[in-house]
Formats: sequence, C-alpha cells, structure tokens
Amino acid sequence: MKSSSLPGRIVAAVLALSGLAAVFYNLVVDNMPKGEVREIKEYEVWPDEIIELASTLPVQNGGRIKPLSTQAGFTMLGIHGARSMKVIGKDGEEHKLSPTEWMLDTLFRPELAVQLPTFRIDNSNVLKSIGVEVRGRRDRYSYKEIEPGIEKLIELAKTYEKIDSKKRDPEQQQVVDLGYNIRNYESYLSYFSFARFGQQISKEAGQQLDLSRVMEMAPRIMSDIRAAQAEGRPVDAPVRFLLEKVLDASNFGKFGLFMLPPVESEDRIWRSAGNVIMDTVTGEMKDPATAIGDIKAMEAVAQSVGDKKQFQEKLGELHERLSKRADNRGEYSRIGLESAYYEKNWFLYALVLFLMGSLSAFGMWTMGGSKAGKVLSWATVGLTAVGLGYCVVAITKRCIIMERPPVGNLYDTIIFIGSTVVAISLLIEWMTKRGFALGLAPMLGTLLIVLARRYELGDAKDHMDPLVAVLRSNYWLTTHVITITLGYSAGLLCAMLSCFYLLVRGLGLDGGDKDFRRSLTRSVYGMVCLCLLLSLVGTVLGGIWANDSWGRFWGWDPKENGALLIVLWTLAILHARLGGYIREWGLHLASVFTACIVAFSWWHVNFLGVGLHNYGFTAGKSTIWVFYGVMAMFLMFGAILRYLDVHAKALRSQVKEMPAGA
Amino acid sequence: MDDSTTSPAQTAKNCWWRRAYDVLSGFGLATVLLLLLGLLTWFATLEQVQLGLYPTLRKYFDWRSVVLLPELNGKMVPLPLPGGYYVSALLLLNMTLGGLVHIRKGWKQVGVMISHFGIIFMLLGGGVAHHFSERGNMAVGEGEISNTAEDYFEYVVEVAEVNEEGLTPKIHVIRGNYLTDLEGSARRVFNLPELPFDLEITGYFRNAAPVSANERAPDKKQPVVDGYWLLEKPDEINAEANTAACHVRILHRGAEPSAPFLLAGASFHPFTVRHEGRVFTVDMRKRLWPMPFDVRLDEFTAEFHPGTSRPEVFVSEVTRMENGGEAKVTIEMNAPMRYEGLTFFQASYGPPGAGPGDKMYSVFEVVHNPADKWPEWSLYVVAFGLTFHFLQKLAAHLGGGKRKSKP
Repeated sequence: MKSSSLPGRIVAAVLALSGLAAVFYNLVVDNMPKGEVREIKEYEVWPDEIIELASTLPVQNGGRIKPLSTQAGFTMLGIHGARSMKVIGKDGEEHKLSPTEWMLDTLFRPELAVQLPTFRIDNSNVLKSIGVEVRGRRDRYSYKEIEPGIEKLIELAKTYEKIDSKKRDPEQQQVVDLGYNIRNYESYLSYFSFARFGQQISKEAGQQLDLSRVMEMAPRIMSDIRAAQAEGRPVDAPVRFLLEKVLDASNFGKFGLFMLPPVESEDRIWRSAGNVIMDTVTGEMKDPATAIGDIKAMEAVAQSVGDKKQFQEKLGELHERLSKRADNRGEYSRIGLESAYYEKNWFLYALVLFLMGSLSAFGMWTMGGSKAGKVLSWATVGLTAVGLGYCVVAITKRCIIMERPPVGNLYDTIIFIGSTVVAISLLIEWMTKRGFALGLAPMLGTLLIVLARRYELGDAKDHMDPLVAVLRSNYWLTTHVITITLGYSAGLLCAMLSCFYLLVRGLGLDGGDKDFRRSLTRSVYGMVCLCLLLSLVGTVLGGIWANDSWGRFWGWDPKENGALLIVLWTLAILHARLGGYIREWGLHLASVFTACIVAFSWWHVNFLGVGLHNYGFTAGKSTIWVFYGVMAMFLMFGAILRYLDVHAKALRSQVKEMPAGA
Repeated sequence: MDDSTTSPAQTAKNCWWRRAYDVLSGFGLATVLLLLLGLLTWFATLEQVQLGLYPTLRKYFDWRSVVLLPELNGKMVPLPLPGGYYVSALLLLNMTLGGLVHIRKGWKQVGVMISHFGIIFMLLGGGVAHHFSERGNMAVGEGEISNTAEDYFEYVVEVAEVNEEGLTPKIHVIRGNYLTDLEGSARRVFNLPELPFDLEITGYFRNAAPVSANERAPDKKQPVVDGYWLLEKPDEINAEANTAACHVRILHRGAEPSAPFLLAGASFHPFTVRHEGRVFTVDMRKRLWPMPFDVRLDEFTAEFHPGTSRPEVFVSEVTRMENGGEAKVTIEMNAPMRYEGLTFFQASYGPPGAGPGDKMYSVFEVVHNPADKWPEWSLYVVAFGLTFHFLQKLAAHLGGGKRKSKP
C-alpha cells in the first residue's frame, strides 16, 4: 500500500481507539461486579477440593443432566448479572467467588449467603417501591437488605404478572423479574434446611430427629394413620404434628436442585430431596431404601459444614453415591467435560487473544511494510489463529456435550458466525496477502464474541439445553442450519470489508493505491457470491426441511423471508453489476447494506413474535437499531465520498480540456 | 449516415420487438424485479404481524392483487407497489429469456445457465404447488379410523337427502371457488338435477356470523331472515378461524322459490328442506376431502424433555388400511408418511392437558402436492451450477493474480 495522509491516520487512530474503548466498556459492564466489595467478617473460602466435588455433582435441569456448576453459573448470571462476585473474608483478603462457591454458600451456609451482594438491581425505584433503603440507581444488594420488603415485592409481582407481558412498563417487568429471582433464590437457600438440624418430633423443645429416621418410620406412621381412619377416630396429635413437619421439610426441599437419579432405568425424571421425602413418607416411593440412603447422605453433608475436612469427606460420599447411579444410567459421562468447559472460559481467552490481535493489527497497518510491520503482521496472524483455535475447541466441546451439530439456537449462531468470519477472513488474507482481511479478522472476532457475551448475560439461559421436537434432526441441523449461518457470516464479512474500503478510501489511508482498492473490491465481490451461494442453498434446504416437518416448502415465515431477502439482495447486486448499473462505489455501498439485511434476517425477525421460527426473546432489541444506525452512517459517508470523487474527477477532466495558458 | 444505408441487422436491432426482447431479457429488468420482490417480501414480513399471514399473502402475492399500498404498524406507506404474483411471473420470463435464451453460450456461462434453469424449475414447482396442491387436516383418536381430511380454508355448501335410516348416502357439494365471488348482490343459481330443486346463492361473506336481531339490530340494513342477520367480521389473523356465510334460496321446479335463509360456517346445525315428504339438509362447512385409504391411530405418544414442558418427540403409530390389506407406519416430526401422492405430517395432538392414561388424538396435516420433490431436485441443479460458476471465477481470479505477480 502507498503512504497515507496524516490527518487520515489521526482520524483512523481516533476511530480505532473509540472502538477499543467501546469493547473495553462492554467487557467491564459484562464482568465486573458493581458496587463496593462486601466485607463479611465470618466468611471463609471453600477449599479447592470441595469446589471440585461440588461442581461435578450431576443435576437434572432444563431437560438434561448437567453439572451443578452449570446450573449455578446460569442461576448466578440470571440473579447477579455476572458469573463472579468479590468478597472480603475473615482473612481480610479479597476473594473472587465462582458460581459453585456462591451455590455452596447458598445451600450450606445460608447465614453468610444472605449477606452476599447477590441481587443485581438496575433501577432502584423497584426497591423504593417496596420500602427498601437504596443506594445508587444501579447496584447490587444482598438478600438480607431486600428481606424487609420481600412480602410487598411478591404481592406487587403477583399484581404485575396479571398484566400482559407486552403491556408491562420496564419497572413493572423489573418487579416481576426480581420477584421471580427472590423465589428462585429462596428455593436454593432453604433446600437443605430439612437436613441441617433434624426435625422436631414433638411440641416439646429439644426432641429432634433426622428426617431420614422419620422416613424409616414411615410404614409405622402410615399404618397408624390407616388404623385411625379405619376406626373413624382422628389421627393422634404427635403423628399429625410430625406429618406437618415432614410436609414443611419436603416443601422447602421441593424445588431448586433435582439431584437424585431414579433407580428405575425407564424413569427419566430425577427427584429433588422434597419429592423423595414426600413420596417415601406417603409410601409411593418404589425404592424407599435408596431414597432414605440419599437423604441420610445429604444430612451428613449439611450437618458437617462446620468441619471442612469432614464436610469434604461427606460431600465426597454423596458425590460418589449420586454420580455412580447417574453413571449406571449412562448420564454421567459428559459431566466432567462440561464442568471443565465452563471453568476454562474458552471464549474469554479467545476474546483476549482477538483484542491483542486487533492491537497488533493497528500496529501492522501503521508500520506498513517495514520490518516492525512484518513482525506485527505475523503476530496478528498468530494471535488471531490461536484465538480461532480457542473458538474451535470450545465449539467442538459444546457439540460433544450437546450431542448435536454446533448451531441450534441464537447463542450458537453468534459464536459460530464469530469463528467462521475469522476463518474466512484468514482465508481471504491467504489469497490476497494485502493485510486488510488479516487486520479485520481479530476485530470482527472481538466484536462478535462481545456480542455473544452480552447476549448470554441478557438471556441468562443455558444454551446447551435440548432442542424442541421439530429441531431434533442432526441431518438438517448439519445441512440447512450451518449453511444458512455460513451465509450470514459471508454477508456480514462482505459488508465489513466494504466499510473498511470506505474508511480507508475516505480517510486517504490507502494513498490512492488502485491495486489495493481493486483487491478489496474483488474480495467483496467474492464474498457477495459466497453469501449468495450459501444463502440460496441454505434457504432451499430449509424449505425442504419445512416440507418434511410441516408439509409445506415455503410458508412466508419471517425467518424464511429474511433468508430470501439476502438471496434477492445479493442477486440484485450481481445483476446490477453485470448490467453495469453499479461499479466499484456501487458495489461497496450495496455491500454495506447487506449487513442490514443479514441483521434483519438473523436478529430482527425474532422480535416480530410471529412464525414457526420465533424464538420469543427480546434481548438485544436496542442493539439492532444501533447497528442499523452505524450502517446508515457508513452508507451516508460512502455516498458523500462518491459524490466528492465524481466531482473531483469532473474538475480534473475540465482542467485537462482547458487550452494551455488559459 | 443516410437511413437508406442501414443494414438489415441494424434494422432488426432497432425494431420494437427486438427492443422489447432486450428489455425483457436484460439485467436492468432483472435488477428492478429482484429489488421489487425484496421490497414486497420485506413489507409482507412486517405487515403479517398485524394483518395475519393469509390476508397478507392475499394482499401481496395473489393474482388478484395488481397494485398495492403497503402498511407499517397500521399506517399506510405512500409507495404503490406491483403485486408479487406479476413481479414473480415477469422475473420468470426475464430469467428464461436472459438466463437461458439470450445469454452468451460458452463454458464460462455453463454454471450460470444451469443455476438459472434450476431456479426456473423451482419457481415452476412453486407455481404448480400454488395452483394444484391441496391441504387439510385429519384428527383421529386412538383406536379410531378416519378416511377424510378437512380443508383448512375452503368453505363449501353441501346438500344431501336424509333417508329413512337418518343417513345421507349421497352428498352434493358446491365448491368454494363457485361461492367466493358471490359477494354483495352477485348471485348464482346451482342446478342440482338429481334433486327436486335448485339453489340460488348470494351475499357471500368470507368471515361472518349469524346474529339475532333481538340482541342486536342490523347496522347496515342487512336482510333479517328468521330473526337472524349476518354480521360481517374482519379477517381473523389466523385465517383458518374465518367462518364463511351466505344467503340461499331454494328454487322449487315449477313452484315459487322459498324464502331466503342463512347458511353460516359458524352454525352448529344444517338447514332442513322438506319437499313432498322427502327431507334434505343444506349446510355450509369446511370441505371434507376423502382419502383413498383408511387410517387407524393405534397409539400416540408425546414425550417431553424430563422435568420440562419442552416437547421432545411426538409419535403416531398408525395402520394404513386399503383393499383389505394393512400396513403399520410411524409418523413423527421430520418423518411424514408419503403414500399414493399424499403426505401425512404430524401436526398436533390433544386433548390439551391430558394426563397419563387419557385417550389421545393426533392431528395430521394431509398434503397433496404434485411438485412435492421439485424444490429438492432443483436445489441440486442450482447448487451444482452456482458452485461450478463461482469456482471457475475463483480459479480465474487466483490464476490471474499469479500471472500478474510474475515479473
């Protein structure tokens, strides 16, 4: 590339720094807990061995078996808005708590857990309305701080729940969400309450008995009840008292964790402690001995919480008992893999690598063809390739865990598109060797992974949960879904290459190098062709799938229409180019607009709330308009540039035509 | 240049049909049509949220819609657009002329020609499916047998004589396409030679319900018949929920016609006609579509992912019975039953909220589409053509780059 203009380079540097600042801000919003770090004087951190044991405990949640760490991670994300929180403990040091540690506190040390800043509040008016003292507009609060207003909160939430969710204002929605989060949190907080101190078996204080013992006595209790019923007399008061206590205990442990695998292989539903207690006492449990053993093991863990060594031992026994049974059912094999997947945080590392790659790319472009430039070029290649490797490993692990192809929901599409955009960019770089695709690769990777993290935070749902019946076809997920998603990647990439073209040309960064521009234009043309091929094939494959599932090839469903729009738009670009109606400028401007069409098809149609592909989510509703706005600015910028270019050419030709000496 | 020196070839080029041919086969028209189709698709996607799918399709892509004004969020957009049916037809013509006839023939264009051919075939398949396919649904309970499907949209008028056993051995059907144009004062007489009377039908409504004049007086002077009048309703967002209605008179041969009466899809009972001791029923209902074989639902299973209400599999075990023979078939999502040109898809089930041990029923979507597999075949053609063409281009690009890089 020829040398570029100084003002252009300054503007480019400002733009680049602004972009990086935006990414950094997003990361901070994403990961850093708000509010001051809480000091809890009695707080002691959990030993690593206990965390490891707890994180690989199998549980059934969202229709599949997963490690406790996954359930803890998404529960924490939903309530706390992040996967970690900081606390200053007994030793006076700051500790970063993982989801599993947070869950261990909630389950086994509720007196400490209620002091943790668990609840993310985005609008303090929600707390004001229930009479809770507030700090800033956005902050995090502990259960203890919200507790005085919980009764009022639940009452308000019930009122607002009756309003159609589309008609609720944001504050009403936040009250409903907080009410749900509180109830959800309480289900964990009280889960082991049956096991901590045993059950009071008579009205006189001090007479405690473990619930497992009560369960052992269930046949006798039931025969007493039956005898009383047969004789037409009321059930004895002590038995009635005991039953009330059992009912309370089972209700407290009824939700939250479904961690007890059934003994019968044909039974697919795992039980909570509360289910098992109630079913055993009422005589409905098929294998009461196992159920009593489970409850005993849980009691042993809960009662040894004061002694870490013993706690570890008892937790190990419970882990062994449950994981062995899960393994016998063939439901434990991927628990370790999944636990390690979330622990490794692959996409965060990929993000860091892409960010470093982006910085290196800026350096590479600034230094040009110098030795330093070449070194930075190789550094960019290395960082981007390793970042891509991280993404590929993570996606592969997800496929193994989910036992399906990589794309099955919107979150999957983001990470897949992020990875494929980077891979295709590197491929373009290999073919063109001009540096533009290489520089764009880590930047696009960064942006898309930030988007994935933001979406995950907003949605706070486990995206590895199983698919609904109609999507359960690995053949179609592999062919149609992947092809269409690759089409999105190509469409976005062609638009980003054109944005880059406009910036480089507008800011004079290419020094008027026509070969460079031609190479960029050819790449954009190639991407438009690839986008057409993939989108067309993907759309028709989707039609064939729809014909197999719903009996019609085309149903004018918004998602189908979105894919068709991409096909029609890319066809229009190619025909307009062949007809000579658009040339270099036209191709790039049209290519920038492709991003809007891809965004409409990929994201926007999901907000319409109609059609069979409707995912029914609202996360990212405002982001899409920001994206359209940015693309519109690029289009305006490009249109102005084209006007100036044409004007300048006209002037030059006028000057040439002027007679010498005029 | 003198006009007299113009060559015959130039004259041919300048003549109107040649210019028209150039326009019809040109890239300019292709670009405009593709953009128009894109615009129509985009507006239709947004408008279906408020208007519903079926009315939107009628507005944007039906042959009766020549020009239309789109709406966004219920507000009209002052941008007249041509109907999608004509845009698609013109695009088909443009593609045939430009992509197959006019195109320069050579190795470089082989891929493009193949893909154009594939898309033309696909669009033709769409046309055949649009005009000749039939679809309906068949609900059948466990242990029960059915041999009819009910059309989703088409309302028909059925006339039948009730015999002494209370049965209707022969039903005369007036198809929907003879009724839908009888809106307002338009009327049509239907001769029924096997019956002792004819029917005169008028005042057809796509969606209407009979209303008692005692409860609500007609607001637009609608005729009141037997104390009822027809209240026209806007199209339902879900078009399957529309209930058609019309006004009917019995034309007795050689006698005075009967007083008019109402027929409505929303009515629970047919109208009864007595003629010289014979009893007939006249009814308006969705068309029943007889199948060439019987289907018995042996068992229906709905499974959900454990501990959730997220569906995992819906399976209908059925027996297909024909000419005394039986065949066991499993119908589930993504695995329909295809037989004798008909396809049975797992569409729905019931009753809602059924528990273990409850008797279930399964609903199949039944489709007869002569172009069922055409899109699949065309896909192979298009994918091959495009891949061939783009690889050719890529090879030329890479080869060109290498040649240029040589000193």
